[in-house]
Amino acid sequence: MSERLTALRETIRQILPQVDGVIGLKTGPAGIVAPYLFKPGHPEMLDSLALWPKEPVPDTLKIIQKAYPNARLAIVCRGCEERGVVEMFKHAQVSLENLTLIGLQCVQEEALFCRCAKPYTVHARVTVGSPIAGVPDPLTEAFAAKSQAEKLAFWKEQFQHCIKCYGCRNICPQCFCNVCALEDEKWVETGRLPLPNPSLYHIIRAMHMTAKCVACRECEETCPAGIPLAIHFRLVARDVKEMFHYETGAVIEQKPPQLLTLEEGDYERSGLP
Amino acid sequence: MYEPKIIGFLCNWCSYRGADTAGMARMKYPPNVKIIRVPCSGRISPELVLRCFREGADGVMVLGCHIGDCHYANGNHRTAKRMAILRQLLEYNGIEAQRLCVDWVSAAEGEKFATLIASFTEQVRQLAPFVEIMQ
Repeated sequence: MSERLTALRETIRQILPQVDGVIGLKTGPAGIVAPYLFKPGHPEMLDSLALWPKEPVPDTLKIIQKAYPNARLAIVCRGCEERGVVEMFKHAQVSLENLTLIGLQCVQEEALFCRCAKPYTVHARVTVGSPIAGVPDPLTEAFAAKSQAEKLAFWKEQFQHCIKCYGCRNICPQCFCNVCALEDEKWVETGRLPLPNPSLYHIIRAMHMTAKCVACRECEETCPAGIPLAIHFRLVARDVKEMFHYETGAVIEQKPPQLLTLEEGDYERSGLP
Repeated sequence: MYEPKIIGFLCNWCSYRGADTAGMARMKYPPNVKIIRVPCSGRISPELVLRCFREGADGVMVLGCHIGDCHYANGNHRTAKRMAILRQLLEYNGIEAQRLCVDWVSAAEGEKFATLIASFTEQVRQLAPFVEIMQ
């Protein structure tokens, strides 16, 4: 852990003079870790550089790029955050011009914690740490093996705890619509919890995350009720891969399937009549 | 035996005309489907389908033009993609995917329309009423 931290600090120190700022994580005065913009004039700030817990840095990048469109920036990103940046680029939320990706490879414990299938970066030319293989997701596997009635009962139980705080939507780096369907009275009523079943709030969110979710698991992390939301997204991501041969964040040039018409073979794989 | 409530979203250019054809030919089909005419099947968002279920529908039909025949060139490509995903998502939420019928009916296929409605109504009738499984 500390070796990786030293290596990252050294890498940022080398990159710092060539850019206007590096987005990374920093431990604050109260010991709280938050995204921070390291600037060339203040290399001493790197002393409080942090690695964990991960924060949605792609969102921070978006905010900074909106305010300073011409800034030369670098960003410390893990595999999931890199996928997030790539997907946001495809949806015109961030620019990859003038941006250096510093790939931070996750270690085994972090991958296990996130049940991550891809704890490594693929596009970043500057990397820190050595990439490790993905780990299986026991929670999703166990859910997929359940019967119809068990699945229904599982979500009934889980969604009972939902307090509709919109935390999962707010933290999601891929949720950037100006007008959100989840705030529309027609689908999600104000002043009512996402019950009764079917939970429109959660199914609509899962639907809107199709071919967008980068499996960063920020939503699960932030959920005060501890609902394993990633199960939905990961199962749908698997279907999208099967039907439309699309994986989020894998190829920068590949357009997301929802923006395009049906491609050769897409329809046959969709299982429709 | 209960009478299932089914909402049918029919595209204006093909399926709704198909329903007209079935009507003009005096074909018989069950009266369980409440038909809503929409400009294009691509208009049907997953939210609409889910809201139908939430309001107590036992089944939802989304009928559009055949792939390649869409009045708006590729509106039904979107239907094909999102409904395929929505069916999976319903399964993951413990709702039978058989409750959602996605098919293509052209203006000339009155007979297909009648048989489709009859078979889908029977298919939904086999399942428990939606409000019951959600209790």
